Amino acid sequence: MITENKQFLDPRKVYIPLTDRTSKIANVLVEQSEEVKVGQVIADKYNGKFKTPVISTVSGTVEGFIELEDRFGKKIDHVIIENDYNYSTVKYKDLTLDASPSEIKNRLEEMSVNQISVDGLYTDVDFNKPVNYIVINATYTNEPFISTDYEYIKKSAEEIALGIKLLGRAAHTENLYLIVDKFMDEETLYNLGKATVDKGIEIITINSKKMQGDDYKLIRKLIKKPLTNNLLDDGVIYTTVCAAKATYDAVVNSLPFTKRQIAVTGDAFKANALYEVRLGTLFTDIVEDLQNYQITDSLNLHIGSFLTGYQLETDEFSITSSVDSVNVGVIREDEEEVCIKCGDCNDVCPAGILPQNIMDAELRNVNARIVDLNTSECIECGLCTYVCPSKINVLEWVRRAKRRVG
Amino acid sequence: MEFTTKKPPIKTNQERSYKKLLTLHISLIIVSLGAIFTRAFIPLLEEGAQWAPDELFKSFLMLAVGVGVSVLLELLYALTEGKAQEFTKYKRLVDPINTGLLIALLLPTVTPIYVLVLAVVVGVYAGKIVFGGYGYYIFNPVLVGVLFANISFASQMIVEGTPLLMLKDALAGGASNFNLANLLVGNYEAVAIGSTAAVLLIILFIYLLINKVVDLRSSGVFVLSVILISLGIGFVNFDLNGMLVYTLVNLLTGLTLFGAVFLISETISSPTSRETKIIYAVVIAILTMAVRVLGTNPEGIVFAVLFGNMITPFLNRTVKRSNKSTFIKTVVISLFVVILTGLVLGFILQGRFIELFNATALMGGLF
Repeated sequence: MITENKQFLDPRKVYIPLTDRTSKIANVLVEQSEEVKVGQVIADKYNGKFKTPVISTVSGTVEGFIELEDRFGKKIDHVIIENDYNYSTVKYKDLTLDASPSEIKNRLEEMSVNQISVDGLYTDVDFNKPVNYIVINATYTNEPFISTDYEYIKKSAEEIALGIKLLGRAAHTENLYLIVDKFMDEETLYNLGKATVDKGIEIITINSKKMQGDDYKLIRKLIKKPLTNNLLDDGVIYTTVCAAKATYDAVVNSLPFTKRQIAVTGDAFKANALYEVRLGTLFTDIVEDLQNYQITDSLNLHIGSFLTGYQLETDEFSITSSVDSVNVGVIREDEEEVCIKCGDCNDVCPAGILPQNIMDAELRNVNARIVDLNTSECIECGLCTYVCPSKINVLEWVRRAKRRVG
Repeated sequence: MEFTTKKPPIKTNQERSYKKLLTLHISLIIVSLGAIFTRAFIPLLEEGAQWAPDELFKSFLMLAVGVGVSVLLELLYALTEGKAQEFTKYKRLVDPINTGLLIALLLPTVTPIYVLVLAVVVGVYAGKIVFGGYGYYIFNPVLVGVLFANISFASQMIVEGTPLLMLKDALAGGASNFNLANLLVGNYEAVAIGSTAAVLLIILFIYLLINKVVDLRSSGVFVLSVILISLGIGFVNFDLNGMLVYTLVNLLTGLTLFGAVFLISETISSPTSRETKIIYAVVIAILTMAVRVLGTNPEGIVFAVLFGNMITPFLNRTVKRSNKSTFIKTVVISLFVVILTGLVLGFILQGRFIELFNATALMGGLF
């Protein structure tokens, strides 16, 4: 439960990772002790043929380079920039709401609005492949298990709606969908409804109290076939309201994506807080701001959604645009019991495959059966493990089966 | 600072398989108490009758012996494995107690105690421990034990005048007289001590359904199929009133409700996806009714569930994915098969197929 709203916008130094999950090669454009401005391109990262710029989030001097673990648990190079607290920004061309698709695309690229949500089904904001549908999830700003007051959505409903519209124009598509929760409070729903009413955005209500992969089912209904592991291949951009808001800010207000909201939760902290942080801040700085860990034994650091997310062995990582929540808590190990073959995992699987049967085949090493059961359609949403009454990590078995047959 | 890692997901829901097992355990204890009570005090409903202390003692002894032998066997096995330490917790005792209670509840009061002991030994040892204990058996150990007793000691366990036998007489042209109140509270001779109080079983069925221990797609479909098949048989053989009586007797007596609550809902030896659960339930219902109508045994659910367990790996192998279209297809085909079976069984009973059978018998004789 979030109890505090905080800000941490003035770190002394920022650590900006040069590469990410998809773009693995970087070409650095700055040198040591060079002055940089907010929004200045400090490196280009490449994903195959496609180039994405890496921008500075503060103004100041480049102090050097360091190897740190990034939020996916990989050791990569980071640029250290010392903050001069001036925040002098690069001059951008003014754009309006009527900007042309290519102008919007270029603007999103130079503002580094590309990787805002990475958990589960979410995709990058990427227009290199043809896009037919844009689906925005407003059911939660951070994580379904962390209840928030939707302050973010209430405040910026209008901007979110315009951002979705801009994304649609950039992708040349009219199929815009906004997923909202049945249990949202009146004001949030009213604001969202008022903002989206004549913009051609279809609102879809789901019940987020029941974990059953509603978003998967919705997108499958749209594209009328089982989904691939990367929704971009199916022509769908699926992302959160943060990306829509960032799009609006980038195009209309010429604001580069340099700060975002993250939820910092867990038993290890005295208070759980919703933070507005500058990208590149080290997580240790935020921990210090929250008066350190209250417990120090057998803690577990989890980034992103509780069902899919990543876990790190260190808390020295920098907050990037794709970090939406960090949970630090005592590890809760439920004793694994024997599978009672209740079939709950088979019922809940949004892809319609049979995790229990796949697990059985994997235990008996039957490759032909694993292929037969369409194991490759698994999107690793983690719902099978979530519902298992015996607390077996079914997802891990399915992953193993997937790896075995390639 | 160092952090420990664990494979995500880190969050799971509130369901626990031990909680389910415990819910079943509590309902089994309620049924056992109900069984003892009905056996002993139900005769008081009829005027001038005494309560039956011998029945009370016998049913209590059966339940106690069943539980004792079952727990002892598992404990001995755990001793040889060096895992006897686990038995200090009640958690480890729940499943052996359940098995013992179920075997005792599925046998009639006339059963000699040594037959019960043998049934529990066969059920627990050959049905469960041989396969690796709770969670690994392929046949329901309870039914393995009960089937062994029913077949090997058939002459010691004959129960006369059960409602299902009376129904058979009615079909053959004899007179029958059923009282709905008697059927609901269990005032009749039963093939098993646990199966009598229909009201109690219906309440438990709903309770377990709410607690998600019983699956509507297997147990519910089974009850529905039994109703539909009996309606079909009744439709061919009786008038409207007779049809309803036939259905009610088939539903409320025998092991129909007991099976729906405790035998078909048993998950370990049943299929896992929703389509196969429906097929499993329908197969069991058809076999149960076929044995009841055509066979010499008064009750066929024991054979039927074991047959269902037998085809479970095959069912699991046939289904490759579960989506809406396959689900609807399964439901429609199952419904068709159930209604057809009901009508065919009805016609067989009425003797319209007798000529056909004679013709095939004749051809068989020729070759």
